[in-house]
Amino acid sequence: MDRDATEDQRALLDVSVRFMEETCPPAVVRDAERRNPEFTATYRSQAAELGWFSMLVPEALGGASLSGNGVLDAALIAYLRGGRLQPGAFVGTNVVADAIARAGSARLQAEVLPALVAGEASAAWALSATTAGSPAAGVDARADGAGGLVLSGAKTAVLDIEPGGWLLVTASSPDGPVQAVVAADAPGVGVVALESLDLSRRFAEVRLDAVAVAADAVLGDAASTAALVDHQLAVAATLVAAECVGAMAAEFAMTLQYAKDRIAFGRPIGSFQAIKHVLADTSLAVEMSKAITLAAARTLGSEDGHGPSAASMAKALVGDSAIDLAQNCFQVFGGIGYTWEHDQHLYLRRLTTDAGLFGDAAWHREHLCQLSGI
Amino acid sequence: MNDTMIDVEDFRREAKAWIAANLKPRERVRAGRVVGEVTTHEQIDAARTLQRTLFEGGYAGISYPAQYGGRGLTQAHEQAFREEAAGYVTPDFGVVGVVTMGAIGRSIAEHASAEFCRVHIPAILRGDEMWCQFYSEPEAGSDLAGIRTRATRDGDRWVISGSKIWSSGAYLADWAMCLARTDWDVPKHRGLTWFAIPCDAKGVTIRQIRQINGGAEFCEEFLDEVEVTDDDVIGEINRGWAVTQTMLVYERGAGETATPTEPRALAPDLVALARRVGRLEDPAARQAIARAHINDYAQFHLGRRIADRLEHSRNPDHAVAAYSKLAAGVYTPLRARLGMEIGGPAALAWAVGDEAEGRPALDYLNGRRISIAAGTNEVQRNGIGERVLGLPREPSFDTNKAFNEVLRNARSWDGKVG
Repeated sequence: MDRDATEDQRALLDVSVRFMEETCPPAVVRDAERRNPEFTATYRSQAAELGWFSMLVPEALGGASLSGNGVLDAALIAYLRGGRLQPGAFVGTNVVADAIARAGSARLQAEVLPALVAGEASAAWALSATTAGSPAAGVDARADGAGGLVLSGAKTAVLDIEPGGWLLVTASSPDGPVQAVVAADAPGVGVVALESLDLSRRFAEVRLDAVAVAADAVLGDAASTAALVDHQLAVAATLVAAECVGAMAAEFAMTLQYAKDRIAFGRPIGSFQAIKHVLADTSLAVEMSKAITLAAARTLGSEDGHGPSAASMAKALVGDSAIDLAQNCFQVFGGIGYTWEHDQHLYLRRLTTDAGLFGDAAWHREHLCQLSGI
Repeated sequence: MNDTMIDVEDFRREAKAWIAANLKPRERVRAGRVVGEVTTHEQIDAARTLQRTLFEGGYAGISYPAQYGGRGLTQAHEQAFREEAAGYVTPDFGVVGVVTMGAIGRSIAEHASAEFCRVHIPAILRGDEMWCQFYSEPEAGSDLAGIRTRATRDGDRWVISGSKIWSSGAYLADWAMCLARTDWDVPKHRGLTWFAIPCDAKGVTIRQIRQINGGAEFCEEFLDEVEVTDDDVIGEINRGWAVTQTMLVYERGAGETATPTEPRALAPDLVALARRVGRLEDPAARQAIARAHINDYAQFHLGRRIADRLEHSRNPDHAVAAYSKLAAGVYTPLRARLGMEIGGPAALAWAVGDEAEGRPALDYLNGRRISIAAGTNEVQRNGIGERVLGLPREPSFDTNKAFNEVLRNARSWDGKVG
């Protein structure tokens, strides 16, 4: 997918790859202890210097995109990140920065947004309820009478909340969905670390106990919030899909090499049609996933109105394909794939998690129907 | 491109004026390249008349060599003409035309003798000669090099006997390009030769095959001591496999039916179907509709990405085109199946003669055609596995053995390779 980059994008991608390989090689990906708060802060600020958190922010607010299509720029970075199983609040920070740029108060745009772009702080989108439901489920908002909100409830599987970071909380109110930006360490906010399938990232449950939110921390108004949430979902879906396709391509390359190297019955196992055909089908899935994700990024970033549909299509197709790919690659590896030391399980864990984040395939198919007016 | 070649945009202007002066506007504008259903000799004759107008105007065979009656221009000029002519009635020979102009004419131009080309290519471009392929056989499909139709030399003549099958529209064609075995004592790829056979030659019997969808576009042929001469050989004797490979490249290219524009509206046929059967609110039907549309959308972008790659690569690797074919072979039957699921009982039985209601069942019956025809899904998977991914081939036990020995031993094969 990175072969589709323009020359300007190419330069950023090359330096980003060097940064990832130096700062967070596989040994660090595997070792949660080494990804401590100090590492997280350093990684984030170096990534910010490369422009990783500025691409969805307009120039007037301190952002910059390379190609004029910030979503496409970010998706190409996400693709490379996914292949290297990179940690860090890349998707969350970009989604929240975009949301603040679109609908944030002057204070959020003056205080929070520059910190995000500069990598001084990260942001996470608290979206999923512990029970299934709409993006607003799990947290109730009531008006405080002064334009602000009081939030109570819980969100789960929130991705990469970093120390000193911000949370974008989507909550339900009697007037429909509302959103607010709160500090992860604000009074009444509890962040409880969770155990997770994916070992390369961190997940937490966010508990909100009557958290007071000032009026200037609320994003948008009752009339515009539903559309903003749809937009955030489209951006998050596209970027997660791009990370996921990167991980798919990397795992596929690893599996293909194994099929050429592993000998059984006197020949490489990849010469058997039983294996060869699985790999051909799997590589078709990789190619289709790349094609649909690039299409979604191009469309969403060009704001031609079809972006949310394209993003949902990409997330649905990539999610299903990722799980198929992980299963097929595991099967080709055979016993070695069941060992802790082999990287296969890191990808299995990552791909399966990506498939479920910010809406699984079935959710996005239904969302596509609704966006299409049926 | 040579210095004297007309610029595409100049050509477009010239073509536009000619089209307006010589062709009739179409009542309804068609999107992209659509091949009509042509089933009768009357339709073929009508197309011939129109084709002759094109030929005389210099717009038949735009990218065919000039010395054989073409214009000697490029695919880009061809495309410009198609775009300008989209709103006008142009010759429609149906699938026979696609096979003739798309695969056979090109293969002849590349491999046949100059004399053969001088006789046949102008006749093809004028619409006088429609061709079909005598290609697959009842006992040779995916293993095409294993055909058993026999051509035996008898003085200065060749005598051909055998049977052929799956020839599109052969009953409407004037000539056939026939693959036959001319040497049985060498490995299978090295004993094949192509011949031109008039469809009305003595000993040729063409029968339409009644298909599972009720149609009869495909034919089977019986060749009973059909006589031809050395002048009818296309390419070199016993080197027919090279011609076959050329033909397969053109055939797969010519068979492209991808939608020319990005599919944006949610699977309109399936939404209409769900609405008709009252299942638009049913989550299972909604999931099926979305699944079908997402696959359509992904296939479109896969095709566009591959076309871009082939166009802009200095060393285009045509093996990647197998991805488009495999995607069509996998997702077309799946889509048809989703249609049946959405339709439920209404897709199983419908009002007599109601074509719209019978559509899901027809699509279901046609769904696997693309998974089998012009290279099965399995053949595509081998091509991707070996030529794109670089995996080693399966060991083959027949590529170095004389073909008659392979045949003799096939039923008692002991599993030994080599």
